[in-house]
Amino acid sequence: MAFFADTEALYRILGGFFETLTTAEEGQLIHRVGGPVLFLYHRPEGRLLWSPLPPPGQRPAFRVAYGDDAAGEPPLLTFEQDADTAHRFWLGEIDLAQALARQQLRAIGPLSRAMKLLPHLDSVYPRYAAWVAGGGPA
Amino acid sequence: MRVRASVLADYGLLQEEELELDGPGPGEVAVRLSAAGVCHSDYHVFSGDLPLPTPMVLGHEGAGVVAAVGAGVATVRPGDPVVLSWLPSCGRCRFCLSGRPELCRVPATAAQHGTLPGGRTPFRRGVTREPVYQFSLTGAFAEVTVVPESGVVRLPPGTDLEVAALLGCSVLTGTGAVWRTAAVRPGESVAVFGSGGIGLNVLQGAQLVSAYPRIAIDVSQRRLAAAIEFGATHTVRADQDSVLDRILELTGGLGVDAAFEAIGRPETIAAAFNATCAGGRAVVIGVAPPNAEVGLNAFAFPSQEKTLTGCWYGQSSPARDIPALLRLHNAGSLRLRPLLSQRYGLGELERAFEAMLDGSVNRALIVFDP
Repeated sequence: MAFFADTEALYRILGGFFETLTTAEEGQLIHRVGGPVLFLYHRPEGRLLWSPLPPPGQRPAFRVAYGDDAAGEPPLLTFEQDADTAHRFWLGEIDLAQALARQQLRAIGPLSRAMKLLPHLDSVYPRYAAWVAGGGPA
Repeated sequence: MRVRASVLADYGLLQEEELELDGPGPGEVAVRLSAAGVCHSDYHVFSGDLPLPTPMVLGHEGAGVVAAVGAGVATVRPGDPVVLSWLPSCGRCRFCLSGRPELCRVPATAAQHGTLPGGRTPFRRGVTREPVYQFSLTGAFAEVTVVPESGVVRLPPGTDLEVAALLGCSVLTGTGAVWRTAAVRPGESVAVFGSGGIGLNVLQGAQLVSAYPRIAIDVSQRRLAAAIEFGATHTVRADQDSVLDRILELTGGLGVDAAFEAIGRPETIAAAFNATCAGGRAVVIGVAPPNAEVGLNAFAFPSQEKTLTGCWYGQSSPARDIPALLRLHNAGSLRLRPLLSQRYGLGELERAFEAMLDGSVNRALIVFDP
């Protein structure tokens, strides 16, 4: 059974978690990527966009756009995956190299920019687990 | 101790730096490098095509002398000449126990994180002691590095360490792709896409098992000249000729029994597959970016029983295969010295990359002051 019952749940839980990152220390990492990052989801369908808000150091560091609102800005990087894969990724349960090799995750664009973030995500995974355990946004 | 190293500060940015190196922990070995080969994989990390964490000490094809050993190390001692293996397998997992140590997940996971298997990196920099990651559990572009015990293979005293360095990657990989992955038999035809350090060793390996014809494909005339020196019987300029037409012409319209892709590009992977005969094998050795995808004709798989497979580190067991390669070299069967066309200092890594890319060297070597 899919973790996200529908697109609304996807946006509320995962989108809501992304909103918390916009003001977190780790949110500043978006500036290392250097452009918008689009996440395309399937089962349920959805799209979320991280759009950087310069200058670096300012909070929020990026804006989260949902659905059709996420389609207006050309992304630098696109990640396409099942929503369940995304859920497991943010729990820290996905081996990125294996997921790419099995096409569970498709990455379009300069992947090296995103890889800079990986060593910094260890502190983010438990926060997502806690967010999910708490039922998402208050 | 403090060591000089070539550090990838960010993708495209190399700096020669002095780093702090932690001593070897239990089961680890410190190696003072004598020489380290410059490989396309190093360049892939430099360019960001093979994205790994930065800052990082690159280099994975090295040889040197054991400087110190950690607790419990039994197979080498200080002063021993060794070659580095960038796949120090655990020896206990399903893959190791089934004779496929190159697929062991322990080094694969550590390499992805740029660390040793325990999760630490021996290199640090600055007053904050910021971790500096280590490429493929080796980090051979440093005067001294620390690796797992299974990441070194002891060499006989007096071994030429410049030659030995090449055994740690390009020679082991190229010959292994022919002998183990494709299991080429005498009289079978082969085509090799890319005549760099790996491709030349594919050709030598194919020559040693009497494959014929041995067709080298490249865009560089200089590299194709080197390919002939290393065993190619025919060459094709990919930028001037139709590669497929030429291969079909040389194989009576059948295609080759085994095609090797030693570049790492989706187009050449597809070309290698398309160049094989019915029942043929295409072996991908080149490392493409992790998000690259290949388009192939699906009907060709069942209707022509073609095989497309990969080769990681020559499907080798380094402790078994590196000494064997050294014996072949010492017997005059395997030519390693002619692979070494240019030497560079530690601060000249970018120049070495340029020479590798423009095809003016067979294998560039970083050499260290004794």
